[in-house]
Amino acid sequence: MQDLFSSLSLAGWALFHLLIFPGGLFALSAGLLFKGLDRKFEARLQRRVGPPVVQPLLDLVKLAGKESMLPETAHRTIFHVAPLLGLVGMAVCAALLPVPGAYGGLPGMGDMLVYFYLLPLPAVALILAGSSSSSPFGALGFSREMTIMFAYEIPLLMVILAVALKVGQGQAAEFSLGAIVAYQLENGQFGLHWALLPAFLAYLAFLPGTMGVPPFDIPEAETEIVEGPLLEYSGASLACFQLAGVLKSIVVLGLGVILFFPGTVPGGAALNVIWFLAKCLLLMCVSLTLVKAACGRFRVEQAFSFYLKYPAGLAALSLILVWVSL
Amino acid sequence: MAFFPSITVRSPWLYRINAGSCNGCDVELATTAFIPRFDVERLGCKYCGSPRHADIVFITGPLTLRVRDKVLRVWNEIPEPKITIAVGICPISGGVFRGGHSIDGPVDRYIPVDVNVPGCPPRPQAIMEGVLLARDLWLQRLEEGKAGKAEAAYAAIS
Repeated sequence: MQDLFSSLSLAGWALFHLLIFPGGLFALSAGLLFKGLDRKFEARLQRRVGPPVVQPLLDLVKLAGKESMLPETAHRTIFHVAPLLGLVGMAVCAALLPVPGAYGGLPGMGDMLVYFYLLPLPAVALILAGSSSSSPFGALGFSREMTIMFAYEIPLLMVILAVALKVGQGQAAEFSLGAIVAYQLENGQFGLHWALLPAFLAYLAFLPGTMGVPPFDIPEAETEIVEGPLLEYSGASLACFQLAGVLKSIVVLGLGVILFFPGTVPGGAALNVIWFLAKCLLLMCVSLTLVKAACGRFRVEQAFSFYLKYPAGLAALSLILVWVSL
Repeated sequence: MAFFPSITVRSPWLYRINAGSCNGCDVELATTAFIPRFDVERLGCKYCGSPRHADIVFITGPLTLRVRDKVLRVWNEIPEPKITIAVGICPISGGVFRGGHSIDGPVDRYIPVDVNVPGCPPRPQAIMEGVLLARDLWLQRLEEGKAGKAEAAYAAIS
């Protein structure tokens, strides 16, 4: 009986974390706010007025009410499942995200390796969407997405390894996000540590690639391959892709803050949540909005060699420095 | 079936079809209307690459014979409800190309045009006024669609 109650309450808490905080409602509203601020900030950088901050929400409401079309030659099942795949993956990621000083993550579940497997899901969804929509632009888009995905995942893996090795003190690699936060709160933040600074720079370079913003918006380049895999999507299924993107921005920005700057402020959980969001926002402005407002677009082979040269090189350097400093 | 018409019309996504234009109007659309001074993005507008994402479609050019079928095909790919704007004098009347052997226009022989923005090319202020007119028409249509459905439901009950 006791076991039943405890497992029921565990399931209840898991559901709460998935739907309300930090996943679901919280991540969604924060992500929509971030996207609105991102568009506003980009417009101000270009000395435009820019759309209202609530614009991403208005877009979603509009899309939910639009006609949803299915191309005659598309693969029906995969075409409909693909948008949901990315959304579900990102919803789970957001639920596992610890907020330093407010929420420690689900016990035994917040693990960087889980993130490493779940983070590519929106990209996999794009690949499925592009290949099932039977459009030549979709095919071009998904081959580009596959190429660039392999390029930006390699620096991410090395960054994760460097952090895990540092926290495990060379005895063992420690992948649990809760342990990583606890270690940094005790021994200083990794973003200020000389051995892990290159890894932080590599993570900064990883962000625009994984979010698909210029100069790495190659798979969805709307001016050359008319939005690639998203070409055939309209209405609610397009809204699903947008929701997945909104959640993903919170997940990757939050992961960056947790890995490198998880410092807390005194004064309770609510203040720490705001502090966490403020750091995420700053990270977004530096690594996404500024880059987006200033850059054109790479070709796919340029992006590929960029990721394998500089971010991967920085992350490898960090790995060696961590090994030496132990 | 739009959920909240007054919210829906605050997010018009724009799509451009070039029906044999000289590019004058396209330059006005692509650059002038989006530069800091005018900035249609403040109305929530966004240029989209795919016709499937579009709400408001701009047509430029006098509709030449060569592009006619392609223009019609792309126009049919745009989901309903859509608003069509003819930009420049060419799609409205044919302009200086009217009566030419390769011209099959004006555009409204084939496509129901909702808003005309004349000029060669039109001023950016005129283009933005066209977008606003299209937005009002779109709202009107969404609300009519809702009222139409309600009337049909009422008729079915009584």
